[in-house]
Amino acid sequence: MDGPCCAERRGSFFKLIDTLASEIGELKQEMVETDLILKTESSSTGDPSLVKDMENMYLEKKDFKAFTRDSGYNSFSQKLSVLDKLLHTHPVWLQLSLSDEEAVNILQCQPPGSFLVRKAAKLQKKILSLRLPSESGSCLKEFAIKESSYTFSLEGSGISFADLFRLIAFYCISRDVLPFTLKLPHCIAVARTEGELEDIAQLGLNFWTVPANKIAANPACSRPLPPGGASPEPRLINGVQTLRTRTPSELECGPGKGALCFINPLFLQVHSQDGGENGGAELRRQGTAGWTRSPPPPRPPPPLLPSSPRPPAVSSKQGAASMPETTVAAESPGRKPVPVPPPRLKKQASVSSSPVDWDSRSHPASGAAASSGSESVLLNRGGGGRQQRLSDMSISTSSSDSLELERRVPLYCYEADSSFEDYESDPESMPPPLKPSKKRSSSFVLPKVVKAQLLKVSGVFTSLMTPERRMVRRIADMARDKRTYFGCLVQDYISFLLENKECHVSSTDMLQTIRQFMTQAKNYLAQSSELDPPIESLIPEDQIDTVLEKAMHKCILKPLKGHIEAVLKEFHATDGSWKQLRENLQLVRQRNPQELGVCAPTPDTLDLEKIKTRFLAMQKTYSPDKKVLLLLRVCKLIYTCMEHNSGRMYGADDFLPVLTYVMAQCDMLELDIEIEYMMELLDPLLLHGEGGYYLTSAYGALSLIKNFQEEQAARLLSSEARHTLRQWHKRRTTNRTVPSVDDFQNYLRVALQEAESGCTGKTLLVRPYTTTEDVCQICAEKFKVQDPENYGLFLFIDETWQQLTEDTYPQKIKAELHSRPQPQVFHFVYRHIRSEHPGIVFIHEDEDNDSSSDYLP
Amino acid sequence: MMAIRELKVCLLGDTGVGKSSIVCRFVQDHFDHNISPTIGASFMTKTVPCGNELHKFLIWDTAGQERFHSLAPMYYRGSAAAVIVYDITKQDSFHTLKKWVKELKEHGPENIVMAIAGNKCDLSDIREVTMKDAREYAESISAIVVETSAKNAINVEELFQGISKQIPPLNSHENGNIGTIKLAKQTSQTSRRCC
Repeated sequence: MDGPCCAERRGSFFKLIDTLASEIGELKQEMVETDLILKTESSSTGDPSLVKDMENMYLEKKDFKAFTRDSGYNSFSQKLSVLDKLLHTHPVWLQLSLSDEEAVNILQCQPPGSFLVRKAAKLQKKILSLRLPSESGSCLKEFAIKESSYTFSLEGSGISFADLFRLIAFYCISRDVLPFTLKLPHCIAVARTEGELEDIAQLGLNFWTVPANKIAANPACSRPLPPGGASPEPRLINGVQTLRTRTPSELECGPGKGALCFINPLFLQVHSQDGGENGGAELRRQGTAGWTRSPPPPRPPPPLLPSSPRPPAVSSKQGAASMPETTVAAESPGRKPVPVPPPRLKKQASVSSSPVDWDSRSHPASGAAASSGSESVLLNRGGGGRQQRLSDMSISTSSSDSLELERRVPLYCYEADSSFEDYESDPESMPPPLKPSKKRSSSFVLPKVVKAQLLKVSGVFTSLMTPERRMVRRIADMARDKRTYFGCLVQDYISFLLENKECHVSSTDMLQTIRQFMTQAKNYLAQSSELDPPIESLIPEDQIDTVLEKAMHKCILKPLKGHIEAVLKEFHATDGSWKQLRENLQLVRQRNPQELGVCAPTPDTLDLEKIKTRFLAMQKTYSPDKKVLLLLRVCKLIYTCMEHNSGRMYGADDFLPVLTYVMAQCDMLELDIEIEYMMELLDPLLLHGEGGYYLTSAYGALSLIKNFQEEQAARLLSSEARHTLRQWHKRRTTNRTVPSVDDFQNYLRVALQEAESGCTGKTLLVRPYTTTEDVCQICAEKFKVQDPENYGLFLFIDETWQQLTEDTYPQKIKAELHSRPQPQVFHFVYRHIRSEHPGIVFIHEDEDNDSSSDYLP
Repeated sequence: MMAIRELKVCLLGDTGVGKSSIVCRFVQDHFDHNISPTIGASFMTKTVPCGNELHKFLIWDTAGQERFHSLAPMYYRGSAAAVIVYDITKQDSFHTLKKWVKELKEHGPENIVMAIAGNKCDLSDIREVTMKDAREYAESISAIVVETSAKNAINVEELFQGISKQIPPLNSHENGNIGTIKLAKQTSQTSRRCC
């Protein structure tokens, strides 16, 4: 590792201490909280097992460090908690499409406690299928999983979790409403590396039928006792007294013999890697961002242990007997003095831990423990990929944080979350692994009391926001990663738009294609398997669309915002609409409210300033949702001014004139762009709600202003304006149905050729199944042709004319021509059937992807 | 648990006929917790049970003044139902109502449920539009019709119940045999598309 990296590590040391302190503090808290939960839930009357579990985790944690100091052996970089294991092996146990019969078939061959999560066709709900002991009547019992806004819980239980993994992890250590705790399949329980887990995960559903799993299916009890004599403890319920620390030499190695790491395989961190493997895993992780699966790097061949019954499906790398192995062990008297740091601040408590990685390779003799304050032990590797990945994996909820002791959640997680959905404050790209100065100063500057208050609030937000934000971030990362299909799709689209400013005929055309692309990309993500683990396991189903929409804003609109604005401005400058708007704003502003039909109190100067500020803030955000939120705040303020404590309820009759007046007073041309942006890019699902209503009103108000002069003359909007509105209505209504892949290329450029005036081109929205007949009709309308019966649609290719018959599909023809190996220049021309045209005059311009050419008279 | 179905309802009618009063009455009359706090009276929501479903009415008020008429299409687009209000004491408002019905028939969403409300029935001593006229007209366009009084809370609830009843129920997922229905629908769609 090089210089800067080391410096970074040093810088992060304090934070690490901080984090450790806070984690332990949090654990303490958790213990109390869980205790309370258990008592109130009355599911276990005075059953202290969970609390004990927690204590053990806690003790173990101390010991964990102590052990490091003691042995000098500290390959800690791999610590697989039960949550890690669940995350890695979800292709095995998370089988959403599994039928009832299949589930029975699988589970009946498994030991009691085995489980699957699937989706019940009848209930349309996820369920947990649990294998019962044979002596109980039926072999399976199913528990419905309740999903409510951002939480998952078992029906009948009061404990909710941020995602499915946490839920399952929790039920691996506490039974709560279950008859007993869940058991991970043996192979998974004993797996010690991500590699092993990935191998298992590769098997997917086949895992259950692989003989290895069946052999190993009867865990702990049938295993030979390790020579050390320590009997393996399946659970840590009574663990405090019985567990003792063993030195590596005392330990039996090999996965099949696991005194190692098996004391509580379910959630304890297991760390037993040799350097070589470590490196391999490291490479793999750095090489992959997010959750993309990459082929595992070559690993040393597994040493053979002739007598060890090893599951063949799982390539174990721990076999070498000479390899020192460490075990986690609780309570060892000698280790006690590790000081217990003070309870951490809640601010950090909301993040389950810090982005700290325990790398031992470069500091083999890390003598001092964390608590002693030596920098040398605790390192931060800050590898971008890894950070990301881990942050992806870990989220925090108050109920389940304790499941992961050493989770590494980057701090920005908290910072972003606490900003309450502030899009603009999102870290632009992958954030720096650490922001030590920021964090530290914040934790030292605030007085304790204030902090406690703030942190209570932030804790609530974090537990609510995190799963969503985490998902959004993961998708955004994937969108930047061109190694994923999704990343390619998004990046290609963005660069296409940026490079081809001229590819859209109008501002709405552009916004509309962007909206279509977002909807399309959303559908892709919802259906593809590229998101791993699947989004259903992290986000309750009724929230998936919202989360995806947010992610689309972040990965598509955020990078395009500047471009979109520039292009919109250009369009409006070119077509003169802004000039007209400016003049009309001027005119309208000179009117008094009564002349505009206002019969209610209007906002005063001060309120107008406030409104303007909000409009300005609106300009700064890229998210249409957030813009609408700001618009709603403006409307609320207007309403407050109107009602003026009178208690009168004003309907649209009164509101619309006031809104018009206010918008004119604000005198912001840019509002035009803002409203257009929202109108076209807002999720169609939101258009029916309150946001849609007030957005419509704002659009209406602006159209009134735009047409003010004409209105003065006619007291009516021009027919043209009406037409535009109707068009918009039509378009947005059709958008509400899910577009198909075909919609991506729904444009057809058609030229009108007239003997006297030459060619004029127009880009028409032509769907794949639109026939030539329909296209002719559209052309007649668009080009205002008087005698459409004498006109036809022609394909001009290779200097020849072909008239297209009425039942052909121009888009299909276009697609076919595009797919020819030799690109040809071709044009769709709408012209008089009988007139003789030797050819058409055109000038080649840069051919964009969509319209094949441009025409000039 | 019942499925919540969002239904957009637009309110049309001359200014001053009491469009928003009807909605305010409907939304606020009953003490229930389904009322979501809203920004103002021009957009309100209320959820009512209907059979196996919960209907959440998203009520879009429109400005009745003539000069805003051109904006109406944006408000009624996508509506499941339209409540068209007239004032029984003003013959003019009944004419306007007819214009709205005509416009909805021509440009409104297909299958929109139309409900005619003759408001201010508490003032029947100065009425200009008879119940008979209204009923005949409503029948001719197969619309729901009631005379309401937002002031005295007469028939407001019934108006919306009538709308609820006219909304065709969804082929809900809960019925085990959705498969066939869906399939049939899909094939019909595709065949139409191909021809």
